[in-house]
Amino acid sequence: MHIFVMLLVNGLAEGALIFLMAAGLSVILGLVGVVNFAHGTMFIWGGYMSIWVYRLTGSFPLALLAALATGLIMGVVFERFFVKPVYGKVTSQILITLGLMIIFTDLVRLLWGPNPIPMVRPPLLDGTWVFGQVIIARYRVFLIAVGLFVAVGINYLINKTRIGMVMRAGIQSPEMVQALGINIKLYFAAVFAGGAGLAALGGALYAPLVGSVWSGMGIDNQILAFIVVILGGMGSFYGSAVGSILIGLTSAFTAWFFPPLTAYSTLLIMVVVLSLKPEGLFGLAVRK
Amino acid sequence: MTAKRWLWASYAVALILLLVLPHAIGVMTRELIGRIFILAVFGMSYDILRGYTGIINLGHAAFFGGGTYIAGIMFTRLGTSASASLLAVALAWAFAVILALVMGQFAFRNTGAGGVLACAMITLAFGEIVRHTAETFRQFTQGADGLTFAVPVIFRDRIGMYYYALLFLVVMTLLLRQFINSPAGRVLQAIRDNEQRARFLGYDVRKYKLLALVTAALAASSAGFMFALLTRFANTDLLSVQNTLNALLFTIVGGTGTLYGAIVGTAFVQLVQSYLLELRGIHEIFARWQIFFGAIYVLVVLYMPLGMVGAFLRIKGSLAYWRTSGGNHTRAGD
Repeated sequence: MHIFVMLLVNGLAEGALIFLMAAGLSVILGLVGVVNFAHGTMFIWGGYMSIWVYRLTGSFPLALLAALATGLIMGVVFERFFVKPVYGKVTSQILITLGLMIIFTDLVRLLWGPNPIPMVRPPLLDGTWVFGQVIIARYRVFLIAVGLFVAVGINYLINKTRIGMVMRAGIQSPEMVQALGINIKLYFAAVFAGGAGLAALGGALYAPLVGSVWSGMGIDNQILAFIVVILGGMGSFYGSAVGSILIGLTSAFTAWFFPPLTAYSTLLIMVVVLSLKPEGLFGLAVRK
Repeated sequence: MTAKRWLWASYAVALILLLVLPHAIGVMTRELIGRIFILAVFGMSYDILRGYTGIINLGHAAFFGGGTYIAGIMFTRLGTSASASLLAVALAWAFAVILALVMGQFAFRNTGAGGVLACAMITLAFGEIVRHTAETFRQFTQGADGLTFAVPVIFRDRIGMYYYALLFLVVMTLLLRQFINSPAGRVLQAIRDNEQRARFLGYDVRKYKLLALVTAALAASSAGFMFALLTRFANTDLLSVQNTLNALLFTIVGGTGTLYGAIVGTAFVQLVQSYLLELRGIHEIFARWQIFFGAIYVLVVLYMPLGMVGAFLRIKGSLAYWRTSGGNHTRAGD
């Protein structure tokens, strides 16, 4: 029983991290019809920048802010100069964002070297809570809290605010929104940058969890996020939330019970879901 | 008629040049050109997908690297006898077909623009799983250190290997050209141009996409096998997304949907890469040639979407049009 509780916490924490990437991907896909294949690169940059700032200032909140800012800036630049020229051309979008992935992943290796850089957990979030036989790492609880906070925040933004209303209208009919005098392109850019910021934040939160950052961590997590987006239903925000939890729990439980299968279990879940429901769990077809 | 004769004459001259070449150049250049011959087939196999069917497969390296690894593992485990080599070839092809069928089963479920995205994401996941598997089963693959192996005696002569690579390129080019000009190949191009129309005409789009993937997988796996014979080395980089992007870059630089473009693109990219690596001594940024690689990649997609051969054919087409029409009209839609 105590193992079950611990795995549940581990799985949810992992799910929260994946969610930070998948939520951005999913909202961008739903609204703009773009998949950012450089999403994992934001994740890496978030991780490296947070460590850099953490070592300079010793403040974890500042490190997270730096990561978020890095992601936002990269998002704005990527959108403005590389994605905007090819809106509506799916193939070119994929190719260009892949090119950016190569460049910015290698830039990390150039600036910080090819070897992993260690990162410690901030003192306040380090350590564990012990309830009888159940041992829970504080940092994982913190991750779950952040994930919940972001999920509730995005949900509020999409469903309760004017910005969200414009976004939802933009998914339905971008031309109509534009005709009403709202600059939908600006919303596209903001959503793209916001997604990038969340991915970078994810990278900054991931580093203390596993204890280091390395340039390959982007692609691994990006693939998990892709699997979540596919099995949740492409472009569905709720799908990405449910999918993240499902994938997080799956990898936590297989890592405990069948360690060799960990890498395959997530793909297997996707294969099973797609076999039963080709459009994904919350599938709404992508129109753009 | 004379134009065609000129074309054949230039093919013949090029072939003779390539046949004499290995005796006139240094070892390094010969190795590089042999490598270009084999990688060009990998590039062409990608053009079948990207250029002729409109699919983006981000796990394509799994076929190429799979071919190299199967050759390497079989040669280390069973030796380099003729029967072991034949078994290795058969296994490499079987692996390609099975993986392509499984991958395609899930990648081609959605249609339209969302389908292209879903396909790219799902194939990426499958490709990474294959790479992960190679890294996990270290007793067979030696993991990230790489697997060094001996090859059958007839492939050990370096100049001989150059000719085998050239022969491989010529044979595969003819075979793939045959494939894209076949009725099935025509259907693939119809799917690329308008998937919905092809479906309304009664074609089973998914089956044709599977056919394209299996063909491309066989060509890529064969290229991987030849690469094993040439380099006698395999590591997990061959299975990485980076290697898939190499093939994509070859076709994009050369021109997608032209088949021969992949050959030109491979030669160009490989020559630039070897030149940049020579500049390593000047500044360490040249050792990170992938930054340049990515930059070329982005610039080509943004500003030269037709690629070299594509742009050449376009100019040639416009010239021919001007000549026949007397240059009085502008083409509709231009």
